[in-house]
This record gives sequence, structure tokens and C-alpha cells, in this order.
Amino acid sequence: MRRRDDMHDGPELELQLAELDADDALAEGIESVWGDSRADFLAKAAVGSGALLAALAAPAAPALAKDKGKAKGKRQDRSILNYALLLEYLQADFYTEAERLKTLKNESARQARVVGAHERAHVKALKGVLGGDAIKRPSFNFHGVTERPQAFRRTAVALEDLSVAAYAGQGPRIQSRPYLVAALGILSVEARHASWIRRLAGKTPAASAFDEPRPKPEVIRLVQATHFVSTPRKRARTSSKRSPRYTG
Amino acid sequence: MAALVALGLTSCSSSSSPSSSDEPARPTLPAGPKAAFQIPAPQPLGRTGTTRWASVDRRVGARATPGGELVAGLSPRTPEQTTNLVVVLGRAREFGGELWVRVRLPVLPNNSTGWVPRRALGGYHVVDTHLVIDRHRLTAVLFKGKRRVFSTRVGIGRAQSPTPPGRFYIRVKLTSYRSPFYGPLAFGTSARSAVLTDWPAGGFVGIHGTNEPGLLPGRVSHGCVRMENGAILRLGRLMPVGTPLTIE
Repeated sequence: MRRRDDMHDGPELELQLAELDADDALAEGIESVWGDSRADFLAKAAVGSGALLAALAAPAAPALAKDKGKAKGKRQDRSILNYALLLEYLQADFYTEAERLKTLKNESARQARVVGAHERAHVKALKGVLGGDAIKRPSFNFHGVTERPQAFRRTAVALEDLSVAAYAGQGPRIQSRPYLVAALGILSVEARHASWIRRLAGKTPAASAFDEPRPKPEVIRLVQATHFVSTPRKRARTSSKRSPRYTG
Repeated sequence: MAALVALGLTSCSSSSSPSSSDEPARPTLPAGPKAAFQIPAPQPLGRTGTTRWASVDRRVGARATPGGELVAGLSPRTPEQTTNLVVVLGRAREFGGELWVRVRLPVLPNNSTGWVPRRALGGYHVVDTHLVIDRHRLTAVLFKGKRRVFSTRVGIGRAQSPTPPGRFYIRVKLTSYRSPFYGPLAFGTSARSAVLTDWPAGGFVGIHGTNEPGLLPGRVSHGCVRMENGAILRLGRLMPVGTPLTIE
């Protein structure tokens, strides 16, 4: 736990994150795994950039179009698609792991199976359209959340709500109408996922009359606070150039 | 919304009956742009078996039961200074407010397993490969799912330094070293010689190439599995670290 005065951001950011996680879903999900208090969670969320931001800083395709405005628009669209891809990777791996581990039963298991397949389809589509510009799949560590049904449901609520807010935040920034149409098609499905898991978690499926869009930095900070995305330092290094010392 | 409904109704009625010449022309909504990409049909997870492995993130004791007697220590590093990893068996269990998982251990006696706190491990990785060494037929066969994707003849341990039987896993891949004796590539396994216990680095059994292909197949080694250099290079392309290994 870092001291308050070590952090990059002040109380304003904490307030923002408190608003973002209005249901306490993410904070409580994390608490159940890490034993962190809500204050700890919010403080950790304020700690600076890591692997996630590094991944999102991946360069977009070099612009070939002569029109600089068009080129900038294309770059921005591809950057938004990569941001969407990162969130889809996260959700796809989250559901897939829970399904593989057979953590859930009955309706929760069905929800994870169906939604996981949707998220994997989103990943496939976004990777297809981004081609060589697509960011690589990060390594994830769900810290046991996918192995505890209640923690899984609470965190799934937070991830789906975040996903909806993230797509809504980027929609107006998409320059290409055909990309926007595709993004809207995904957004509405994410909203259905959110209401499905909210119902299973005992929450009101549609809690408010208006979904607040969320800007990328806020979404990224909240995702970072989960520690689900492994930093490069924590990624497994399984090969080496050392000489073998096996029995021969 | 009422206007849209009225427009829709008007559109329906105008398509089902010819419009009267004295009616004013009514505006129609143009078709929107098509999506830039399609979302593929969601696919269920494959039914083939997968194996989970995880990195050892911190020094930890493996126990006979969750919270029980200590059976072995696990370090975050292998003797080759790569990330140590363990294959995870079965489902996690709650004990003392903590998640525990059973893992296969790279210790003597071979085939040992133990329970470690989930929080000592990194994220799960999955593989769908399985290597089987047959000591009677002197073969190595790699399966991907149920499909046999590689096979070759091998050299194994002599009678006085046998290749140990049991269930193990591949935990490191070594390349680009300069040691013709081991060929161009070597895999480190979790298996250990029960005889050469004072061998440098602990007497781990490797799977590697050779500078004496004429000796293969046969019972020629100190416990390691040797194969021709072309075969080990092919295996290097097909077999990821974390692959379970059965020596029978």
C-alpha cells in the first residue's frame, strides 16, 4: 500500500474513481480477493501508468493518405479500436478462464459461456480489422476472482458497466461512420451483457435512465486498479540462452 | 419517438397501398452506412483437454493439504534463472479465508504434488499439448488435443541412471547456447534423476538434441531424453513451455 503523499494524483482523482465505481462492485470484488479496503483500492487506482497504458501507446499504422486530416482521423479510429480490443481481451479472458475452471453453476455458468463466446468474437473481429496494427494480447492474472463465484459476478458487473461506458465515451470520437456503426453494434451487446450479469448479481439491471460515457484515462485507471493486467516485470520468462546442466 | 412511430406507420401504409395523388410527398429516412466489419458467429470453447500452468511469483512452501504440513519449497526462479512455473491440478479450495491450489512439484520424490496459496502464483496459462515418452518403444510423441502432431525415436537413461517414470511438465526452453553435447535446443523438465542427486543444478532431466545421433535410439543417457537435432528443433516449434509430460 503506497502512502497518500507518494501518489501522483490527489483527492480529486479518488472522487472520480468513487463516482466511476458507484456500485462499489469493483472495490468489493477486489476486497474479497486482496483484503484491501475501499480506500486502499481507490488509492491503488491512482498509482501511475503501467503495462496497460504502454500497450495502448502502441503506434498506429503509418498514414499513407495525403490528406493529413483524413490520416489523423484514420489513426484516431485505429487507436480507438485498439483500446476497444484491449477491453475485449480482458473480458474474453475473464469469462473464458471462469468457464474453463468450471467455477460457476446454472444460470451464471450459462451467462459466462454465452458472454465469453461473444467477447471472443469481438476480439476476433477487432483483430481482423486492425490486422498488423492490433495490440498483442496482454497477460492477465485474475488473482482468484475467476475461482470464486460471488467475486466473479461482482467483478463481471463492474467490467461490463465499464465496457459500456468506455464504448459510449469513444463513439462520438470515431471519424469513420462504418466503424461507428460496428462500434454501436458492439456497445448494445455489451449493455445486454451488463444487464444480464447485474440481474444475476442481484443488482437492478438498468440502474439509471442515462449511461454516463467515460473517457479513456478514467477507464484505464480503473482497470489498472484491478491488477488484472500483468506488468512486463511480472510476465513469465520461460526461455533462456544459458547452457543446459541436465543429466545428459 | 412518436414522430418515428408515425413515420414508420406511414411508410408501412404507403408501401401496402398506392398513394393518392393529392397527398403531399412524405420524407423517408435514408439507409444508414453499413458496418465496417462483421462480428463472426460466437464459438464455444473447444472440448479438448487443456493444462493450466502458472508462474511462481514469490518464494512459497508447498503443503500436503491446504494449510497443512510443509512438503517442499518453491522458488520464483529455476536453476536456469527463468521464471519457475508449476502445473495446476484440479480446482482451487478455500481454506482459512484463502484460496489454495494443488500443483505438481519439481522435487524428489518424482510425482510429488502439494498445495500452495493461490496468491503466490501468477496468472494462469493454458496449453493443449501433451508429450509422451515411451521408455519401452523408445519414442517421443507430442499430442495437440487428441491429434498426434510429432513423433520420433529417442535415447533414454541407462539401467544405472534410468529416465524416471511419472507425470511431469516442461518448465524451460533453452536455445542459442554453445554446447554440442545437448544439440541446438534443450527443454528442462520437472523430472529429476533419483540416482544422480548431486548433479549440478539438482539433476533435472532434460529433453535435448545430440552430437552423437548414431547412438539413437537406445538406452544411452544419464537420464535425459535425447533425440536427433532436426527432431528437437521441430519439437521446439510445436511444444510450448507448461506442456505436461508423461514418461511411461
